[in-house]
Amino acid sequence: MRLFLSVLAALALGIGAAQAQTIRILMETVPDTRYIQELLPQFEEETGIDVEIEAISYIDMHSKLVPQLIAPEGSYDLIVVDFYWVGEFTKAGWLMPLDDLVERDGVDVDVYVPKLMDLVGRVEGVLYMLPFYNYSMALIYRQDLIDDADEQAAFQDAYGMELRVPQTWDEYWKQVEFFTRDTDGDGNRDFYGTVIQGQRGDCISMQWANYLYSQGGLYHDENWNPLLDSPEAIRAMEYYREAVENYSPAGSEAYCFDEAFNVMAQGRAYSFVTFNILYAGFEDPESSEVAGKVGITPNPGGGLNGGWGWAIPNSSPNKEAAWTFMKWAESAAVAKERAMLGGAPTQAGIFTDADVVAARPYYPILGEILAGTKDFPVFTYTTEFVEQVGLELNLAATGEKPVAEAMASAQERLHALLVKDGKIEE
Amino acid sequence: MSVATADGLTLAGRDRRFGLLLTAPGLLSLLIVITFPLFFTLFTSVHDYTLLTPNYDTFVGLENYEEALDEEYLPGSLWVTTKFVLASIVIEFIIGFAVALSLHATRRFGSIYYLILLAPLLINPVVVGLLWRMLLHSELGIINYAIGLVGISPVSWLGDADIAFWTVVLTDIWHQVSFMAILLVAGLAALPREPYEAARMDGASTISCFIHITLPLMRPVIAVAILLRMIFAIKTFDIVFIMTKGGPGTATDLISYYIYRAAFFGLDIGRASAMAAGLLVIIVALTAYLYRYMNSLK
Amino acid sequence: MTANVRGTMRKRGRWKFLSWLLPHSILVVFSAVILLPLLWLLRVALTDKSTAYKIPPEWGQASLDNFIEIFTGYPFFSYFLNSVTVALGATVIALPLAVGMAYAFARYNTGGLSLRLFVLSSQMLPPVILVLPLFTLFLKASLINTLPGLILAHMTLSLPFLAWLLVAFFDGEVATLEQAARTDGATRFQALVRITLPVAAPGILAAGLLAFLLSWNEFLYALILSGPHTNTLPVGLSSFQTHRGVDIALLSAATICAILPAMVLLPFLRRYLIRGLSLGALK
Repeated sequence: MRLFLSVLAALALGIGAAQAQTIRILMETVPDTRYIQELLPQFEEETGIDVEIEAISYIDMHSKLVPQLIAPEGSYDLIVVDFYWVGEFTKAGWLMPLDDLVERDGVDVDVYVPKLMDLVGRVEGVLYMLPFYNYSMALIYRQDLIDDADEQAAFQDAYGMELRVPQTWDEYWKQVEFFTRDTDGDGNRDFYGTVIQGQRGDCISMQWANYLYSQGGLYHDENWNPLLDSPEAIRAMEYYREAVENYSPAGSEAYCFDEAFNVMAQGRAYSFVTFNILYAGFEDPESSEVAGKVGITPNPGGGLNGGWGWAIPNSSPNKEAAWTFMKWAESAAVAKERAMLGGAPTQAGIFTDADVVAARPYYPILGEILAGTKDFPVFTYTTEFVEQVGLELNLAATGEKPVAEAMASAQERLHALLVKDGKIEE
Repeated sequence: MSVATADGLTLAGRDRRFGLLLTAPGLLSLLIVITFPLFFTLFTSVHDYTLLTPNYDTFVGLENYEEALDEEYLPGSLWVTTKFVLASIVIEFIIGFAVALSLHATRRFGSIYYLILLAPLLINPVVVGLLWRMLLHSELGIINYAIGLVGISPVSWLGDADIAFWTVVLTDIWHQVSFMAILLVAGLAALPREPYEAARMDGASTISCFIHITLPLMRPVIAVAILLRMIFAIKTFDIVFIMTKGGPGTATDLISYYIYRAAFFGLDIGRASAMAAGLLVIIVALTAYLYRYMNSLK
Repeated sequence: MTANVRGTMRKRGRWKFLSWLLPHSILVVFSAVILLPLLWLLRVALTDKSTAYKIPPEWGQASLDNFIEIFTGYPFFSYFLNSVTVALGATVIALPLAVGMAYAFARYNTGGLSLRLFVLSSQMLPPVILVLPLFTLFLKASLINTLPGLILAHMTLSLPFLAWLLVAFFDGEVATLEQAARTDGATRFQALVRITLPVAAPGILAAGLLAFLLSWNEFLYALILSGPHTNTLPVGLSSFQTHRGVDIALLSAATICAILPAMVLLPFLRRYLIRGLSLGALK
């Protein structure tokens, strides 16, 4: 067996020892990864460093990363990190602090939107990541229906107010009710005011956060005392449940964002609270029937902030080259080019850059959305929290558990995890 | 009683030596990759080993086991898994056997049937999950549309707890039933012809041949097909990971996904290992019992 | 001819018809249930996401764009080749080893039930638990991100599986035949090669096929132990679940391309299978 292993090892080394300066990057399949790949020849020409990018699905990323990060020397020089894992990865000491490199090379990190710097940049004053990509959540709606004169008149009649891009939750909810309809008169509703992505776990956790913020609720106060059984949180869940029951397709308590996206993309819904990056999908005729008819606006009361950051793991075999690449990918010129191709910018200036706006007129709104977002609790057990609260929310959404009871359980679970992390006392 | 041979070994001793000789290469190549993970699991399960502190500095005895047993949703997950395994195996066996017998009895179009039979097994479970999620979409799925044409109102295939469980079971059966069918048809093909010819001479009916010849002769293949499918079914992961994430509520929360969450989301490899070790004991006992039982039915 | 005999003959004819009809009806229904979703997959592969989700369905213009894209925009060919290499490698190496083990288990009860359970025991642990120690082990042996490493990892799945499966085909009738051969003076090895293996051929072929598929579809080991050059199809296909939604049309096209070669090859394989069967059947 040992002989067998060493023969295999010799074979493996023979395959691996081809090039001198190659960096290997693990990324997820997002549009920005493709844009980076398109721009790669520039970098390889400038630096002579070969780059291998491995792009895997976001749902497999954590499982793939963790064994690599525990290892003394892993296979990847550079990785991208979801905000979920920031607490865990930094607490475990897996990421290399970047402050010295930033100072040495005079990299300006003030170009980033401060909200993203807090989320996927600095942790307790130490810089571990440069924000790569943002997926903050927003309200996507049917602009063509709002602009329709008949709809405006009917809405005015029914609610005594103007039909416009919703500014408050109350106004939005009236529109949700107004647009939910039975268009073919068969007794079943077939056009929906909103679409729920209520699947247990990550999907419901992310969407519900926007409902929580809409009610002025928060996950915890500034001293990390959990607030999930607050009246705001309970009200948020009641709205959510109401949407599941009355305003969203039957069965949407099992949708994740892709199912929900398709309902709206097929022209069967008025609005969808989701990741801003899906907007490009609605504008693409290959995936959507409503291209040119949708608008995007901040979720009334604030949306959820989300993002990925570049990081150099401590197990990286080639940290210096990884840093060279990171600097290139985040340089003003490349960041702008990515945005022009349809990327999700993280640097403040890009949202309003004249060339970018000319190519992508809605980017200033994305900047506005990002500015108004709120953060999910980022601590060591965020991933676990997403799962645990995602179960309680789903139980409430399906009606298996009364709302107040589910929120009490969610509160208990957040409390226990925060205690486990040492954020609060027992 | 036993006769000593030239090399001083009894016949039984030579049999034993030949047996060991045949097992050795396979066993040796498995030894490290079986023993090491087994040892790792058991050793980890009695330590405070988390992904944040991946070391064996803190021995905790049976604490991880106690913690696991205290978890609110663990018994539910075990129950869902039990139901899932039973339902999928029973249905797969019935369908698989019917298909295997039919394949065995037909000459024409055999190749086409075999091709179709194999097709689902060639498809990756992730794709199976995504394919069925699309087909079963409550609003835009072709299945709800098709049943709507014959006047049945749309079904919330994955949104209703009771229905979702059966949806997952049936999806898994769609994917895995061929496994059972292929094994059984191979078993049928390997059966000797003589007993049937003798029985025909005696005027036995097809049904009586099936009960008195086919079933008893097929026993070893049936036993192993059921056992292996049981072990795979207990490990079912991708279908729920892709289709339901264990929901709605806890309706499809299979144990392998539960342990996956403890390990990779909860970061607690110690506790996950304790659950895995507990599961291992249950499965070993179950396999040993079932294997003995099925072999005693001679 | 008496009425009684005529009646029996009519009954026989009816029975013959029934014994033709019943298997074919079962197989036709079964095949339809398997095939319809696959035909839908093919349809989606020929269109785009927007058309794929139209209800009532619209057929639109069929196009091969998705097929072109998976070959030009993705390393599909490399995924496919890696999958074939790994699955074939693992099966070809594991099969003879498993034959030896299974035969010893069946004929000599080597190690008793406890050894058999030990061999299978690692298969009773969730893969997520197994993969961490395996990763550590492979890292030390420099087997991460290599095809031999992945072949070895998949052998840990297929070898116990095959050993258990094959026991069933070495048990039973064939033991008597073997005994007869031994009495006629055949050595143990001769009896195994000349009598047992041909009789068990259908079982060995079916088991090998299933072991190949086991490795072909394996995901978690492939995800964690492989890298950019060694990613297999399951890992590649999973990456079509993007942060902007599932690229269902590309995924369908890739799946069709992944199963098509096997579908083309299988009739030939089946011819060999049939030969194996006729060798095995005791006439």
